[in-house]
Amino acid sequence: MAHAAAPRQAGFADRNFKYFLVGPSILVLLLIGIFPLVYLLVVSFQGITMTETDTGFVGLRNFAHLFHDQRLWEALLHTVIFTAIALPIELVLGLAMAQLFLDRMPGRAVFVALLVLPVVVSPIVSGATWSLMFDNRFGPINQILGWIAGHEMPLLWTINPHLVYPSIIAAEIWQWTPFMFLLLLAALANVDKSQLEAAAIDGASYWRTFFKIVLPAIWPVMAVAILIRGLDLFRLFDIIWALTSGGPGTMTETLSIFTYVKGFQQFETSYTAAVALLIIVLLSVVVFAALRRVALAR
Amino acid sequence: MNSLHARRRLRLGLRLGAAAAITLFFLFPVYWMFMISLKTPDEIYSYPPKWVPGQFQVGNYGVLFKDGDATAVWHSLLVAGGSTLIAMFLGTICAYSLARFKTGGEHLANWIISQRMVPPIAVVFPIFLLYVWFGWVDTYVGVILLYTAFNLPYVIWMMRGYILDIPAALEESALVDGCTRWQVIWKVVFPMCRAGLFATAIFTFVFAWNEFLFALVLTRTEVVTYTVQVTHYFGGQSNFWAKISAMSVLGTLPIFIVVAFMQRYLVRGISLGAVKG
Amino acid sequence: MADLKITGLQKYYGPVHAVRGVDLEIPAGEFTVLVGQSGCGKSTLLRTVAGLEEADGGTIEIAGEVVNHVLPRDRDIAMVFQNYALYPYMTVFDNIAFGLRARKTPKAEIEPKVRRAAQMLAIEPLLDRYPRQLSGGQLQRVAIGRTVVRNARLYLFDEPLSNLDAQLRDEMRGEIKRLHQELGKTMIYVTHDQIEAMTMADRIVLLREGKIEQAGAPLDLYERPATKYVAGFLGSPSMSFVPARIVTDDGGLAVQLDDGVRLGVPAGRGELLSKRRDQPILMGVRPEHMNRASSGDSRPGLARHTAAIELLQPTGSRTYATFQLGGAQVVAELQAHDVSQPGERVELAIDMNRVVLIDPASERVIA
Repeated sequence: MAHAAAPRQAGFADRNFKYFLVGPSILVLLLIGIFPLVYLLVVSFQGITMTETDTGFVGLRNFAHLFHDQRLWEALLHTVIFTAIALPIELVLGLAMAQLFLDRMPGRAVFVALLVLPVVVSPIVSGATWSLMFDNRFGPINQILGWIAGHEMPLLWTINPHLVYPSIIAAEIWQWTPFMFLLLLAALANVDKSQLEAAAIDGASYWRTFFKIVLPAIWPVMAVAILIRGLDLFRLFDIIWALTSGGPGTMTETLSIFTYVKGFQQFETSYTAAVALLIIVLLSVVVFAALRRVALAR
Repeated sequence: MNSLHARRRLRLGLRLGAAAAITLFFLFPVYWMFMISLKTPDEIYSYPPKWVPGQFQVGNYGVLFKDGDATAVWHSLLVAGGSTLIAMFLGTICAYSLARFKTGGEHLANWIISQRMVPPIAVVFPIFLLYVWFGWVDTYVGVILLYTAFNLPYVIWMMRGYILDIPAALEESALVDGCTRWQVIWKVVFPMCRAGLFATAIFTFVFAWNEFLFALVLTRTEVVTYTVQVTHYFGGQSNFWAKISAMSVLGTLPIFIVVAFMQRYLVRGISLGAVKG
Repeated sequence: MADLKITGLQKYYGPVHAVRGVDLEIPAGEFTVLVGQSGCGKSTLLRTVAGLEEADGGTIEIAGEVVNHVLPRDRDIAMVFQNYALYPYMTVFDNIAFGLRARKTPKAEIEPKVRRAAQMLAIEPLLDRYPRQLSGGQLQRVAIGRTVVRNARLYLFDEPLSNLDAQLRDEMRGEIKRLHQELGKTMIYVTHDQIEAMTMADRIVLLREGKIEQAGAPLDLYERPATKYVAGFLGSPSMSFVPARIVTDDGGLAVQLDDGVRLGVPAGRGELLSKRRDQPILMGVRPEHMNRASSGDSRPGLARHTAAIELLQPTGSRTYATFQLGGAQVVAELQAHDVSQPGERVELAIDMNRVVLIDPASERVIA
């Protein structure tokens, strides 16, 4: 092979190739990453409401209002209640299901495939479906309850203040327990079998083995699952919107629904910006604390 | 010997029974939705509710197609498909840069992950105003761009993990053999992480397909996705269950089909994402 | 003109100084082996030559051109990797043809070239198979085939045989050497195995902690090592080292071991040692320098010593016996069918013409 010409020196594009790869992604991410934050920061210090379009600086007025807004804190409380109830139930149920399906059984692949379905249904559809099922006259839930009780049970699941929470939580758990189940199934499958066998030979009981060996082994995955689901629950919107729209009144209004109402129905632009910032801050604190705990646990 | 065997069989039987019961429980609402969509309005509003339609009729679907509402599914397909393709491409090459060159170090990686934690509700309003300013409200470009942005962190995170699993020697060999960096990505990296690409793509697609909040805010009449379309049938006093259920089925069925075909990728995708951390 | 010339090469991995100023010139057509322990920088050096890593200092010249900033694909090199680096989703044929296709070789030329390379490596029947259907040895042949087909100027091998079992390794060593003879190309081969280095190299470059300890023909390094490290590295079983002193004895010089035993130094070697009277020395003995003394043998330079056998290790072709000598453990080579037993006292003949004498402070070989 003749070498008349000198070999080509690496050019600008070659040296900076790696930056060209990340550039477009960063640009797109800036859309939701930087711009909204800047906007929120700016607007939250202004005085724009449905009627006022004055963009003057009003200091911390919006933020001060945050602390006095009863409805906001109720919304936060509702959000926390939903999370605190739904998450543990999903976790325990998912774990139990994972344990059930862990050992081999005929047709397991079919079962697992079918159990994936609730996860891929849109939360809106899920809410609509449960809304239908909870219908006081035409829904099967009341029908089944009626069979058990012996008499008719025309419960108003989506209107009765005592029943709205269970109904929403039921729909949530239905949709997301399979997600926990799949995650935990994979985690359980990865537990070191030799450890379990050693424990069995040592005579450890089922529960002892579970708590001392299995749980610590799957904790990293569980922590991730809790974090993901916890964040999702914090942002709960779709399912509730479909079932109750935050009602009756504002009883099932979560933080997200509250923000949506304030921004898109009441057009309290600046105040909504302040609320949005609050949400971001809260979430960041929670995530940061959770990540540190997870990192420490490893 | 016999009793151990018998006990094992009993356990298996019980487990199977429990498994079947649980699966039935989880599938029941899905069944109900499908079933309602096949009932006539009379049957839907009959009391006590019937569990099996007297006759399977597709009139509800017919109405949707006649009214042109069914095009909502088409919009969902365009939007979800478009954003998935773009997010997968941009995200995977970005993930490659992060994985192989550690571009931007920890800071960039952490920033990208943190974007995933952004609560949509907090940014929906500013983005809405931005879109008004650009004239992107109710356009395909606008919605696709947004879904791409929301999916990118997930794609980057997942694909980075998959790429790190590919031995670098394969790419180095290609480099020495005469490939440019682009050729390496196309000819070596993409084929090698095909499984990961599928798993991530499915998730990204499903997420965009089922998304509601942004679809609600950023669309009006032109680009209505099926999730928003369903809510159009919610009335103040009563809901058009026939339409709701039919629309829901129309929107959910494609996803079920996709999932059925890609089932093994989906399960692997969920579990790998978590187990990798 | 040298095919490869490296001047003052420096390479850091974060805080680790992997290559500390290496100068190397490799003439065309030579088979050079870079050998050394893990972490000595040999792989780093190779990868820098390939362009997979960027040098932090110094220059790399291929065929007279400085290539520090030239992409790997433009350096006209071919490389074989330790773990084969074959594409699992392509057939053997496509794997071999990969480089040709990447360089837009006309289709008509590809098939004959691939076939020829496959013939050279005896893998023609495997062309339609996939990597997962092949054994380790076959995989390595395909990897080599991929480089052969390219007709590059420089061939680089990064520990290609480390993943193979011992028998296969022996076989492949011969194959690669034969290939070199057939193709006549310049080849640079990295390994940690000194046997591979000895058997395959035209020239060995022994690296230690990022620097060249010694470079030269295999037998040169073996018989005339420059330092204790080189002496101890080559040879299996490796050289034994015994601390001692140089003393005058009977008009000449002798090596006196710590336990008082004296071994006479032959007259010819005495000149180099004359300045070191009464100074400590380190004596290096290879197993083949120590045999069972036979009564008729009275060559000059044989020192006799009697010691008890501690351990016997028969290999089939010979038996290695471990002794105590001057407080250190040494290994001597005995005949294969030597029927000694552990504990037996045996008279040894030490060839003082061949032992290596090392300055303990600088670790440089004096004689």
